[in-house]
Amino acid sequence: MRLDRVDRWLGPCLLVLAAVWLGLVYAYIPGARQPEEPGPRAFPILLGIVLLVLAGFMTLAAYLPSASRPSNDTERATPRESYIVSATFGLLILYAYLLEKLGFVIATPIIVALAMAGILRLRNWIAITALAGGLTAVCWMFFVWMLKAPLPRGLWLM
Amino acid sequence: MGLIFGSIPGLTFSMALALMVPFTFGMQTTPALGLLLGVYVGGMTGGSVSAILLGIPGTPSAAATVFDGYPMAQRGHAGVALGAAVIASTFGGLFSLLVMMLLLEQVAAIAIKFGPAEIFALVLFGLSTICGMAERSMLRGLVAGSLGLMLMIIGLDEIDGIARLTFGTVQMQQGVNLLVAMIGLFAVPQIITTFLNFGRVEPLKMPADVRARLPALGQLRQRLWLMVRCSSIGTGIGAIPGTGGPIAAFLAYDHARRFDREPQNYGKGELSGVVAPESANNAVTGGTMIPLLSLGIPGDPATAVILGGLLIHGIYPGPMLFRTHLELIYALYISIVLAYVVILIVQLWGIRIFVKVLSVPPHVLAVCIIVLCGLGSYAIRNSIFDVYLMAVMGLLGYVLQRVRIPVAPIVLGLVLGETLEKQYRTALIMTEGDYSIFYTSGVALFFFGLTAITIGLQIFSSRRRRPA
Repeated sequence: MRLDRVDRWLGPCLLVLAAVWLGLVYAYIPGARQPEEPGPRAFPILLGIVLLVLAGFMTLAAYLPSASRPSNDTERATPRESYIVSATFGLLILYAYLLEKLGFVIATPIIVALAMAGILRLRNWIAITALAGGLTAVCWMFFVWMLKAPLPRGLWLM
Repeated sequence: MGLIFGSIPGLTFSMALALMVPFTFGMQTTPALGLLLGVYVGGMTGGSVSAILLGIPGTPSAAATVFDGYPMAQRGHAGVALGAAVIASTFGGLFSLLVMMLLLEQVAAIAIKFGPAEIFALVLFGLSTICGMAERSMLRGLVAGSLGLMLMIIGLDEIDGIARLTFGTVQMQQGVNLLVAMIGLFAVPQIITTFLNFGRVEPLKMPADVRARLPALGQLRQRLWLMVRCSSIGTGIGAIPGTGGPIAAFLAYDHARRFDREPQNYGKGELSGVVAPESANNAVTGGTMIPLLSLGIPGDPATAVILGGLLIHGIYPGPMLFRTHLELIYALYISIVLAYVVILIVQLWGIRIFVKVLSVPPHVLAVCIIVLCGLGSYAIRNSIFDVYLMAVMGLLGYVLQRVRIPVAPIVLGLVLGETLEKQYRTALIMTEGDYSIFYTSGVALFFFGLTAITIGLQIFSSRRRRPA
């Protein structure tokens, strides 16, 4: 098996995940009503065990003294990468929140502007305004006019 | 859309398909299927455009086209290469459609006799294709498949109606929607990667004057038998779940070079080096439809999205499809033919407009995709919860991509997991817990054997690839 440095912590993380999964399955999913039938808990337990075995194998392969020297294919995240990943995730969460509260027509240009100016640090406000307005209008026409699909109108405005 | 997403390096047509599915909600089933198939076929064909013009394959399936397509472009024969690519693609696509029409009903007629044990074994075989999707490490592929199956568990249990790991929330009872997961897993990591590359990667420079030209009839006639052979390779490879376009294209390229009288010309701008991989990778589209429609098993991420789209429209691919929705099968045939006709017209006569579309900066496309992700996820069930879920799945997809766990097996786990569990439990309920049902059926044993062979072959090939 080809080893990567990341395997040294990925294996144990997956082991923990499998253990947590099994714990949750035992705690929250009831067993079978008839002893001879596989109930709703059987398959999730099987999956937990499979992940446990796979993670155990990954961990063993990474820590055994005979393990081949791990490569360094997975680079460490740079501060810029961490910023962009968290900002994009935050933007998507914010989009969901604003869609619910302000509706599509207001939320979309805000998100487009934040992506362009906040994440990409662009300062061409004419281009940003044009894209924000244009994209909102095109999406609205396509979804509402053509497909008759209901878009969120916003709880605060209603 | 398929042509555009397929031709832009980095944007996958699986992502285009996932983003397109919500657009089909307002449509009747037939046009919806037509749209999805058009994107699929267009995506497979579009990869050749950037492969020939820029030397960068738009899709992995077009990687083999670069070897001779790009040298042809450098020698000033880009038009002929583009023309030959689209003719070969259309030929391969229509050839595989013909094979599909001949085989589909026969496979379905056999599959209709399957009981729960046989279907369980068949789906398990479908899941074993995870090994083929795992790219570098089978272990990572299996981990990803397990994660997909775990995500599928969340929600109401179909047999007992018991809420599993929903923690008392109503929204979670519907489970992790397949399409929401796919939008997050495929699109969000791509958005992040595009943002990361912003300002670091030189924008793609398209040649100033591009137009596709039809190759001479004689050139095509000389390569007709080659196209038939490569299309057969593509259809056969496509019908094996977990293989896909790249393998077919490389095998066809290798086949063409090996049986050519002048193999030394390959890699220097040989027209057969464009025709062979393009006919093969497009023939995959018909091949993948055979297990998808007759058995309900998607062979690659793109067909998994198409399956998700069909399920949302209440269409359950499998042997019963021929009894319940025969008209849809005919609509599918017509859609594929129409898609290739449109692609032929667009690529032969509209290539210059198309090249201009390709010049749109990737970061602008990424911002547009953010909005489409949000709207697409919402439109699936008119649920804001799904938009949050998409964001979480997107973050998960990016993290997994960073630690080199492939996301395609997660999708396969999500798609096939429900049937796998249902058939397993149904089989054991029928026999009151007697496991002999799985090993007394010849068909089930046959599929268990195929599963073992698939995994064994993958272990064998990964050991051969391992560096000394």
